[in-house]
Parts: sequence; structure tokens; C-alpha cells
Amino acid sequence: MTFWLTVAGMVAVTYGSRYAGLALRFELPDFWLRFLHYVPIAVFAALVTPSLEGSYGEGEIRLAAAVATALAAWRTANLGLAIAVGMLTFWLLRIPF
Amino acid sequence: MGPRRIPPHFVAGVRATSPLWLGVVPFGVVYAVLARDAGLSLLETQSLSVLVFAGSAQVSAVGLFGGGASALEIVSTTFLLNVRHVLYGLSLGRRLPLRGWRRPTAAYFLTDEAFGVVAARQERTFAFLLGAELSLFTTWNLATLGGALAGSAIADPAELGIDLIFPLAFLALLVPLVRERVDLAVALGSGVLAYVLAERLPGGLPILVTGVAGSLLGASLTRGRPSDEIRLDDAAREVA
Repeated sequence: MTFWLTVAGMVAVTYGSRYAGLALRFELPDFWLRFLHYVPIAVFAALVTPSLEGSYGEGEIRLAAAVATALAAWRTANLGLAIAVGMLTFWLLRIPF
Repeated sequence: MGPRRIPPHFVAGVRATSPLWLGVVPFGVVYAVLARDAGLSLLETQSLSVLVFAGSAQVSAVGLFGGGASALEIVSTTFLLNVRHVLYGLSLGRRLPLRGWRRPTAAYFLTDEAFGVVAARQERTFAFLLGAELSLFTTWNLATLGGALAGSAIADPAELGIDLIFPLAFLALLVPLVRERVDLAVALGSGVLAYVLAERLPGGLPILVTGVAGSLLGASLTRGRPSDEIRLDDAAREVA
């Protein structure tokens, strides 16, 4: 019973957050329009750096993989290709020589 | 009467998120294994994926359930982890106005990744958004089911380094958005701030704080420039 009440609370705060942003409708001042323009850039960067180095002491090769992905994304703007290039770099560098 | 054609934009949305399946599947499996370990039933494990549909919040919640946390603690952690969706909705709502049933539907399935592929694209439609959202929802729930059934018989995906796919995916979405000096300043500043905050704050909070701080930085650095000059609607080169 407590479990389902907790789930109801989780759904309320999660769906509430997802709906609120889409539903808020008013004319925003210039400053906040520019603010919203930068949201994806700031959030994507924030989703990259904390989980990049991982927790297995492989920070350097994971960083090298990220550089490879960034270069591929810059040259091609192709998501699948950029991820593939990064993961292949990672797995190749992981092979002990 | 022939079968109704699936809208091409819906298919494009599914396709745009397909590279992420390789990251979503192991994450979903890991969540389900953790949930079963924490004592949740198959139904409870699957229900969280269907009803809450938020990976990091679900993983945190089952950890808290296992540790005997109170409902209030679990719900407030979930809120902290997920309140960043307000920013996604605000950003998305301006680029893609949604009417009637479309808005509550789009809201239900909204995730980081779905927002990511839509925000990175010039041509934005509800069908594309829904395709991206349902592609991720379906994959997440199938992975949950697989993990919940298989239990802990599965090898640790972290050993293969599959978790690296998530930062790489967001990096690949970020790079084409960086087109001028202010974009670069916001990206670098946000990256550093999030890294520093992640060592001090739990789960989703660094993303929220950085999302606000980085966007404030960008808006402040472009003060005096009219907003149409930063091309709100063609801010991104298309990521396919």
C-alpha cells in the first residue's frame, strides 16, 4: 500500500514537471527567450562531464573516446556515427597491448 | 480501406532515437535487476517503468526502497531528479506549440533524450516528437521486463563500458549546437560546473542547477542582442 502511494507521489512530481513547462504560456521578455535558447547547450554539457570518466579508473581512454565522438559529430552531425566512432575508440584503446 | 500510413515524421523520430537503444537497453536491465534485488515484485518493477518512466529517478527510488526510506524522501528525491523537465517543456513549447490532447501526451513521455533529438533538429513536429518518445518508452519497458525476468543472471553492462554511450550521445547532440563564441562559453562553463557539482550534490540536481546557471550565462552574455538574432528556431544544424 505504501509502495503504491509512493509511486503515486513519484508520478505526480514527474508528470507535473513534464507538463508544467509545456503548459506555461505567456509572452516572455527578451532575456528569457535568450535564456531558453541556451537551455539545451547548458543541459547537454551537464549530462556529459559528470559521467564521462566513469568509476572504473578508465578516465583517460573514455576521454579519448569523447574527443573522437566530438570530432565525428563536428564533421558529420550524425548522432549514430558519432557514438559508434567513440565506442569503437574506447573498445580499441581498452585492448591490453 | 487500406491500412493507415504511419506518418513519415513519426518514423523519423523513431529512427533519430535508434542509436540510443544500445544505451537504454542495458540501463533498463540494470534498473530492473536492482529493483528485484531491492525486493520489488515483477509488477512493481514494471509499473515504475510504465508510470514514472525516468531512469535515474527509478534507480534512485529502488535504492531508497531497499534501504527502507520514507515515501516523502523517495518522492522528494524524484522531484529533484525530474524538475529539470520544466526547462525542457518551456524550451520545447516555444519551438513546437502543442494543442489539445497532444500536450498531455507529449508531456507524459518526455525525457532528456527525446528533448535532445527534437531540440537538435530544425524541422520540429508533434509526430517526430511522439516517435522519438515512444521509441524510448518501448525500449525502456522491454528492457525492464527482460531484466526483471532474467534477474541477476546477466553480466554487468558496466564491465563492457556501455554506460559511456550516454555522455557520448549528449556530446554528439551538443557539438552541432555550438556555432559561436557565446555557445562555446556556455558549453564549457556548464560542463565544468556540472562536473564540480556532481561531486557534491545527488543525482539530477547538478543538471538542474547547471541548466539554469548556464542558460543565465548565455542570456547575460548576449544582453543587448535582440532574441531573433540568435535564431531561436534554427539554432541547430540537423542531427540525423
